[in-house]
Amino acid sequence: MKLPIAVAVVMIAGAAGAGPLPADVLVDEGAKNKTIWPYPQQDSGKLIYKDHRRDLSKWPTLSYGDDRATPRPQRARLTGTLNGDPARGKAVAMNKGRGNCWACHALPGDPQAGTAGPSLLAFKARNYTDARVYEQVFDARVVNPVSAMPPFGTFGLLSEQELRDVVAFLQSIE
Amino acid sequence: MRLALLISLAAVTAGAGTALAQQRNAQPYREHVPYIDWKPDVTGDIQHTGTYQYWKDRKALNPDWVASKEHQWQLNWKFMDPSYDDTLHGGHIARDRGAALYKKLDAGGAFAACLGARNGDLKGLRANHYPQYSTALGRVVGLEEMIEHCAARQNVTLENGSYDNSAISVYVTEFSNGMPINIDVSKGPLKDAFERGRERFHLRNGATHFACATCHVTLVGRSLRGQVLTTPYGDAAHWPTYRTKDELQSLHVRFAECNRNAGAQPLRPGSPVYSDIEVFLTALSNGYPVDVPSARD
Repeated sequence: MKLPIAVAVVMIAGAAGAGPLPADVLVDEGAKNKTIWPYPQQDSGKLIYKDHRRDLSKWPTLSYGDDRATPRPQRARLTGTLNGDPARGKAVAMNKGRGNCWACHALPGDPQAGTAGPSLLAFKARNYTDARVYEQVFDARVVNPVSAMPPFGTFGLLSEQELRDVVAFLQSIE
Repeated sequence: MRLALLISLAAVTAGAGTALAQQRNAQPYREHVPYIDWKPDVTGDIQHTGTYQYWKDRKALNPDWVASKEHQWQLNWKFMDPSYDDTLHGGHIARDRGAALYKKLDAGGAFAACLGARNGDLKGLRANHYPQYSTALGRVVGLEEMIEHCAARQNVTLENGSYDNSAISVYVTEFSNGMPINIDVSKGPLKDAFERGRERFHLRNGATHFACATCHVTLVGRSLRGQVLTTPYGDAAHWPTYRTKDELQSLHVRFAECNRNAGAQPLRPGSPVYSDIEVFLTALSNGYPVDVPSARD
C-alpha cells in the first residue's frame, strides 16, 4: 500500500506541472528555482526580478490563463507500523521552510505560538490513532472540505517518511 | 461525500492518465474559500472583524493599543499612516522624487491630461477615479498602470510596480489626502472587475492551497506566530506604501509578495488578476480617506 500512495502523489504533481504557463505568471525557466519576484529598485523606472528560494510554479496559480486543476482530496491510509522519528518530526514541524506547523498551531517551547489552528499542546492525551493523525496531515480536506490546512501529502509537500515523523512527533507531545 | 472522494481517489490511482486527460478538457477542478457577504464600503468591516470603530479616525487611535501586543492588530496598522504618525521615512523621499519626475513629464500638460486630471488639477484624482475603466487601454486599470501607459506615450519607461512609477503614484495620491475613496462598483466594467476580484480573492492556489480569504476571512484576527491577520476593509487607502525593510511597494508588488510568502506563485504587476483584486479591495475602502506617504512593517 505504501507504493500506490507514493505513485499517486507523483502523478498528480507531475500533471500539475505540464504545459506552458500564462504570460502573467512570474516564472523564468532559466532562473535558479523558476519562480521569480519583482523588486522595485530605488530611483529606477524598471523592476528587477529576484530568484525565489523555492519553485512554486508546480501548483495552480491565480492567473486567469492557468487551466491546471488542483489535486482533489485524497484519503490516505497508514500502512504497517508508524516507524516515525519524533525528533526528525519536530525538526520538520518547527521549521519555516518545511512543515511550518507552528505558524498556525501552538507547539511546546514556541514563545510566539500561532493561533490560526488548534493548539497541539498535550496532543498525546487526545489519544488519536496514528492512522487518524496521518490522514489529517496528509490531506485535512477529507474530514473538513474547507479546512485551511495545506494538504501536505496530496500536494507532495512532505515525503511519506516525513509525514510519519511528524505524526510520531505529535503523538509524543506530553 | 466520503464515497465520492474514495471513488475519485480510486480513479486517479487506477488510471491516472485517462482521468487527468479528461480533466484538462473540462473546467479544471479548483476550490474556493466560502464567500462571505462583502460590502463595497469600509463600514462593511463592522460585520467582518468589528475593528472599524477602533481605526475609523486615524488621528484618534488609542496610543495604549498601538503599544499593545494584544490589541495592536485591531488598529489595522493605521498608526503608520501620516495623519497619526508624520515621522519622516522613505515614503517622503519617494514622494519628493515623484514630484520632480511628475513635473518633468507634465511640462507640456499632457501627462496630467492623460491621467485624467482636469486642467492639471490632481485633487481627488486618486480618491474618485482610480481604479477606472480606461477607454485608451480598453480595460480596468489602477493608477500605476495608467502612469506606465502615460509615460510610455512620451517614450519614458515607468514599469508598473517600479520605484519611480510608485513614487509618482504617491505624489499624485497625496492630492487626495483626507478625501474618502469613492469608486462605483455597482455597474459597468468596474462591477465586473469587482466580481472577478472577489472570486480570485476566494480562490485557493499555490503549494499551501491558501486563498487571500484563508488568512483575511477564515483566520482573520488570529496569529501566524508573531503576526495577527487583519481586515481587508480600509486597506487600499494608503497605497503605495513604504515598507520599513526599505522597499517602496505598490499594491500589485505587495500582492506578489503576499503570494510568495503564502507559498503561491506570484504574478506580474499589472496582471489582470491583480487589477481585479485591486478593484475589489479599493471598493472595500469606499468611504475611508486616502492618507500617504504611509509606512508599513
